[in-house]
Amino acid sequence: MSTDAPAVMLESVSKWYGEVIGVNDISLAIDGGVTGVLGPNGAGKSTMFKLLLGRLRPSQGEVRLFGTDPWKSTAPFRRVGYVSETEPLYEWMTGLDFVSTMARLHGMTREEATNRAEHVLDFVGLSDVRHKEVGKYSKGMRQRVKIAHALVHDPDLIILDEPLHGCDPLARTSIMSVIRELGNRGKTVIVSSHILEEIERITEQIVILHNGRLLALGNLHAIRGLLDKHPHRILIETESPRELAEAFISRDPVYGVRFPNPGFLEIQTSNLSAAHSILPQVIVDSGIKVSSVENPDDNLDSLLGYLVGGD
Amino acid sequence: MDSQGRGLSESVWTSLDRKAGAVVELTVRQLRHKVSTWAVLGLGTLLMVLLLVFYIDSVRDGFESIDNDGDSFDMDNDGYPMGQEWKYGTSDWDGESFPGSGNFIFQGQIDWNDPDRTVSGNKTWEGQAILDASWIDYDYTGGTWSNIIDWETYESNDCAEGAPFEDWWLPYASSCLQEDGTYAFNGRVRASGQLYVPEGSYLSWGIFTEVFYVEPDPPEMYIDEDGIDWAEGDSGSQGFDDDGDCFRIGWITGDDWWEYQHEPDANRNGIPCDVVWVVDPVTGEVIYIDPDDYVDEDPVDEEYAGESSHRAFVIASGKIAFVLLLGLFLPLFLALGLVRDETERGTLHYLLSKPIHRGEFIFYRVLGYMAVVSSFVIVLALLMALITSLIGPGDELIRFGDFPVWMGIAAATILVLAAYGSLFNTIGLIMPKYGVYLCIIIGVWEFAMGFTTLFAPESSVTFLSISHWGLQMVDATVLAAWPDTLQYSQMSEAFGIDTGLQWIWKPPVHTLGTGNPYISIVTSITFLSLVSGVLISMGSSIFRRKEIM
Repeated sequence: MSTDAPAVMLESVSKWYGEVIGVNDISLAIDGGVTGVLGPNGAGKSTMFKLLLGRLRPSQGEVRLFGTDPWKSTAPFRRVGYVSETEPLYEWMTGLDFVSTMARLHGMTREEATNRAEHVLDFVGLSDVRHKEVGKYSKGMRQRVKIAHALVHDPDLIILDEPLHGCDPLARTSIMSVIRELGNRGKTVIVSSHILEEIERITEQIVILHNGRLLALGNLHAIRGLLDKHPHRILIETESPRELAEAFISRDPVYGVRFPNPGFLEIQTSNLSAAHSILPQVIVDSGIKVSSVENPDDNLDSLLGYLVGGD
Repeated sequence: MDSQGRGLSESVWTSLDRKAGAVVELTVRQLRHKVSTWAVLGLGTLLMVLLLVFYIDSVRDGFESIDNDGDSFDMDNDGYPMGQEWKYGTSDWDGESFPGSGNFIFQGQIDWNDPDRTVSGNKTWEGQAILDASWIDYDYTGGTWSNIIDWETYESNDCAEGAPFEDWWLPYASSCLQEDGTYAFNGRVRASGQLYVPEGSYLSWGIFTEVFYVEPDPPEMYIDEDGIDWAEGDSGSQGFDDDGDCFRIGWITGDDWWEYQHEPDANRNGIPCDVVWVVDPVTGEVIYIDPDDYVDEDPVDEEYAGESSHRAFVIASGKIAFVLLLGLFLPLFLALGLVRDETERGTLHYLLSKPIHRGEFIFYRVLGYMAVVSSFVIVLALLMALITSLIGPGDELIRFGDFPVWMGIAAATILVLAAYGSLFNTIGLIMPKYGVYLCIIIGVWEFAMGFTTLFAPESSVTFLSISHWGLQMVDATVLAAWPDTLQYSQMSEAFGIDTGLQWIWKPPVHTLGTGNPYISIVTSITFLSLVSGVLISMGSSIFRRKEIM
């Protein structure tokens, strides 16, 4: 195993199941920091992770974890922690028991494993419930105990498949801060999601997958910048849409207005950031009551739509 | 510890051991948390408890004396037991034939073709005839069973119209009085006079020897009355007919099909009423016994049946309860899902995302299963050993000699569990959904081969089963720990001591022609270990190449 090889490297990797394509000709290298893997359900995120974890064999191309083929050797797993998207746990184990048992599978002594488990459970904020059976944990606690098990052997690469899926807002915030903290500690963290907003709050470095293909790779803001210059919509819910439209129509970034539904005003702009910067002032000056402002295009679907080449 | 020592203690191997320990421990704990584990272990324990209850009950009754040759019974209710009737040459199926009743000596007959059809004299007559009597012994009366005319019913019974035995026929043991004062009869009569035998009928006659009184023997006299006479260690003609029922004279009287001709030299060695013993000159063990009929056939049961029955119980428990039932059902419930269940539950990734080779993983999983089932089997075998050796026959407080046999049974069961466990786990990997049906088919095959092995261990088709080798190992262990089992088995068979030993135990087959039980143990262990090894390797190899979705 090469020490200076990138944590993750995929070279022209494709995986198909019969006629169905899982991932298609993906090449990328990830090393250091937090990387978000974005894509709708079925985009190939889980397939890519399974290839990285040696559970699937690539149909074409090469997969390397720290320079080693994970299908042929389990050696790189010493440096990898994986949090799956699947729900089940060993329900009858306590949190401490679960994490320390997993630590022992890495070759730690019983004592080492218990100490490390105590430590990581503290890190993810589960110290208080470590002696409780995981079957009695809430959804957020279950996600965190899974993260703890992936961290117990102090891995260099942590892969988290949809770690925020199904969690309540409090658990999301806590898990996000754990992920950010890991990034700050110099670990390579790969986290997948199908919600742009989640990833945005964690990292700027993203990989976008769609229909098994790699659509974009790089800084989220740069990609968002491209998107911003594309025609965008802002939806405002107000009592007097027509009066408010008058206030907006003369402003520079706004090139059109629509009234999609009674009580709603849609502003069309080619520069979303500029539009947002004038928005509060215009509303205050007009003295019209506004109940909500939404960006219907500021989501993964729009981003994907744009990247794929639609509108 | 110096730096070198520390380096050693932290080697790759210790880390591997820890991982192995962790997988094994996790497997054990998982099995402990499965309901089916407790259900199948509970059923196994219940089976043993039932066997013990059965055993304790039979021990409490004691090994009562049994009439092995059945000669204490009085089948014809004449007051004389069969053994006494045999000595006097009378029939135990005929109430008129008993010791002192006098023997019938045949003198003549008129058969269907004889031209002269009249005869006279003072005789005992039997057949169909018209009797013009000067004297009839009306006290000599009987019925259909004995064929003696029932005079109480028929003394003054008038005949029908027409000619007897031509126009009509008389029932057996009956007669009728004709108008001319003659009797027509069909049966046995003691009378003096002239007789005419109608065409197509038959009459025989003779005289009875003198009648004298013989004191009936008590039936108990004919139980355990003919012990096994054998100068230990000697081959050749042995045995003595203590009760004299082999040396009885001539035929067993009566002419019914079940009263066959007695043959005093059934083993055809030229010596009447003896037993041929064949002893292995090297081991000194009895390998063959061939007795004449009714010699040494009713020994004291406590001496032989007690020990034989105890051994039969131990061997039957070992073979059927341990090797066949526990051997098959524990792996069916506990090994089939060792890896398959993890896939189904979606927890396999916790184990596979660790630096453990998949091949090793399979091996450790099977080891974990083996840890559970082996400890269960050892504890169960030790408990059975302790209880049966405490209450079993013999003068010593504990039959220590039984323990090696029980440990052999445990070892054979463990090897069988390893082989089935490896097989079922591999089937679970290849066919996660329908594997259970294949396992059931294999189970039926193994049962069939197991039971065939019980009756015909040399049948070569059974060599293709795991159960055969497990059962062979039990047979071999028994012979190694109790070398005289062969003798007990031969005695059970030769002298008809029905303890089941000769049925449940047979000398081991795979001794490579030596007859040495240790060679059979080694061949069985080798075969079963090889099977387990090959099946685990197959499982590992399949699992290594398997993509896990």
